[in-house]
Amino acid sequence: MIRRILAFTLLLTAASALSAADLVPIPLELPKPLFVGTPVPIKVPNLEKPTNVKRPPFLAPAGTVNLARGKTVTASDTYPVIGEIPFVTDGEKDGSDGTFVEFGPELQWVQIDLGAPANLYAIVFWHFHAQARVYHDVIVQVSDDATFKTGVTTLFNNDYDNTAKMGVGKDPSYVETAEGRLVDAKGVKARYVRLYSNGNTTNELNHYVEVEVYGKQ
Amino acid sequence: MNPTASTGAVHEPRGLDYLFLLLVLAAALFLRTHDLGARPMHADEANQAVKLGQLLEGGTYVFNPVDHHGPTLYYLALIPAWLRGENTLAALNESTVRITPALAGVVGVALLWLLLRRWGRWPALVAALFLAVSPAAVYYSRYFVQETLLVTFTLGTMAAGLQWWRRGGTAWAAVTGLCAGLMLATKETALVFALAAIVALGASRRPGSGRQIAWREAGVAGGAALFVAALFYSSFGANFAGLRDGLLAPWTMLGRAAGGSSGHEKPWWYYGSLFVWQRNGGYLWDQTLFILPALVGLGVAVRLRGLPRFLAAYTAINWLILSATPYKTPWLVISIIPALCALAALALAKLRPLAAVPLTMIVLVALAWQTREAVFQRPADPRNPFAYVHTAPDMKKVPALAAAAPAGPVNIISREYWPLPWYLRKRPETGYWTTPPADCDGALILVEAEQADAVRARLHGKYHESFLGLRPGFVLVVFMREKE
Repeated sequence: MIRRILAFTLLLTAASALSAADLVPIPLELPKPLFVGTPVPIKVPNLEKPTNVKRPPFLAPAGTVNLARGKTVTASDTYPVIGEIPFVTDGEKDGSDGTFVEFGPELQWVQIDLGAPANLYAIVFWHFHAQARVYHDVIVQVSDDATFKTGVTTLFNNDYDNTAKMGVGKDPSYVETAEGRLVDAKGVKARYVRLYSNGNTTNELNHYVEVEVYGKQ
Repeated sequence: MNPTASTGAVHEPRGLDYLFLLLVLAAALFLRTHDLGARPMHADEANQAVKLGQLLEGGTYVFNPVDHHGPTLYYLALIPAWLRGENTLAALNESTVRITPALAGVVGVALLWLLLRRWGRWPALVAALFLAVSPAAVYYSRYFVQETLLVTFTLGTMAAGLQWWRRGGTAWAAVTGLCAGLMLATKETALVFALAAIVALGASRRPGSGRQIAWREAGVAGGAALFVAALFYSSFGANFAGLRDGLLAPWTMLGRAAGGSSGHEKPWWYYGSLFVWQRNGGYLWDQTLFILPALVGLGVAVRLRGLPRFLAAYTAINWLILSATPYKTPWLVISIIPALCALAALALAKLRPLAAVPLTMIVLVALAWQTREAVFQRPADPRNPFAYVHTAPDMKKVPALAAAAPAGPVNIISREYWPLPWYLRKRPETGYWTTPPADCDGALILVEAEQADAVRARLHGKYHESFLGLRPGFVLVVFMREKE
């Protein structure tokens, strides 16, 4: 009996080895790139919207206001390429020239000091919405520590490959629109809000038109 | 600074001239070769680099009159590739392909000096220095397209032609013809420059001066030009159909230039706008300090005879033709820059040294500042007027993305995808579609945002999604198959 089983097993092994040897890569024929002329400038005045649905109203406790308006802003790049750091909280968010601040390439952050700890319900930010583009490694954190070394809560992170070395983010990337991006802060209590980004799909620079922080102190 | 061009006296260069020229050429070389691979590849550069790779690997080149210009760029670019031992498309890199126009740009600076050297030490050197630091000239010398080669061959034709005119002889006639042949084998617009040069020559001749045309020498020049052009268009005898296509190419160009539906149509003042004050997305671009003396020089040169008037007429005719043509791209402007540099130097040379020296320094600083911004600070930024429909820096991430992807096909599904074939040159199992195929699955899939939903619906298995910029306003969705 054992001999029979052994013989059968050997036979099966040989058969599968044979059929494995028969396997070859399929001759997959892929279309080659076509040589075409100079690409034409894209004349899209304003953004592609991933959904055509307007964002539903965000509900927060009565008395919630934008605490960031006019508050002190600091940044990793202390000498912006264009604009001034206070533009981040100056209330101007139409996105035209002269309303955004442009920071240098690579990972950069801006930080808003709300003056005192507050219960935060929503953080809304506009990087640049005059053109369809996606900002990379967008991370939003809050803390009571101005250096963001302790007590840090991450509210949004789409750094899927951990480029920023602050952990892998599971949030989706998104195309910038005039609606801005709204992050639910879930009532977390904090004094400082910090936003990171790492270039975008148009250039390697970082921009902010406006950041609003809705909460109650 | 008093140009001898106006007095009739002739300056013969001496040791000090050559020393200063070497310094100017060193500056030109540095600006054209420093960090040459940093800027992402423009679609046109990538397209031509892939053709160069095919020539390297297969040894064959076939002239395509529809979407490509002349063959000289590809054949000349073989030399640095061979010297660096890069014998396949995959082995090529950005610096290797761009070094050919970069060096041609340096040669162009030397040729401009050679053309003007009898104007006097300072006018010739200042003109060469203006060209050495000119933002547009530097920017497009670092671009793997035909423009800089064409400008250099044009300057070569002018410099040799001037020698032929002054000295005569079949040798100078042959050199002039050789350079003209290289012009013709570089780009169809050479015919426009040749036409402008012939008209300008007629306008600048002193009545009763100069030699009579020696028909034998003219025959040598014409024969040399045709021979060189035929050599390149026929792929050195391997493709005689290229001769016919080379003759048809100017008509194709003419149709496109005048057609009005290429997408590159711009108003008549477009080229002028590249020199004057403009604020674009917060950036300031301005070469007024250069164009003003150049225009004054044009006015001065018109009243002179010989080379100054020739350059003035050549510039004016070219500018008129370029401005009247609806099809406009910023790189075409470099065809008039060497002459503008000469005219600016001529105008400055008319001033007393007390005014000329500080004004020259101010123009130089203004040009150098713009070059720093356009070439080194924001070379791919859409607000840079020379970065025309430029590739987004995101594209430089593609090789790493491809290396991180699991084994299997890479699928590109987008109506526009250049320069991706360059960045994916080490992944031969890459396919390109303009609309989603029935089977979209692959190890890595790059899809234009508008078609992402259609592709997503056809995918099987788990993919991670992210975004990548192709060009300003053109976003690709990246589907990376998750490793099991």
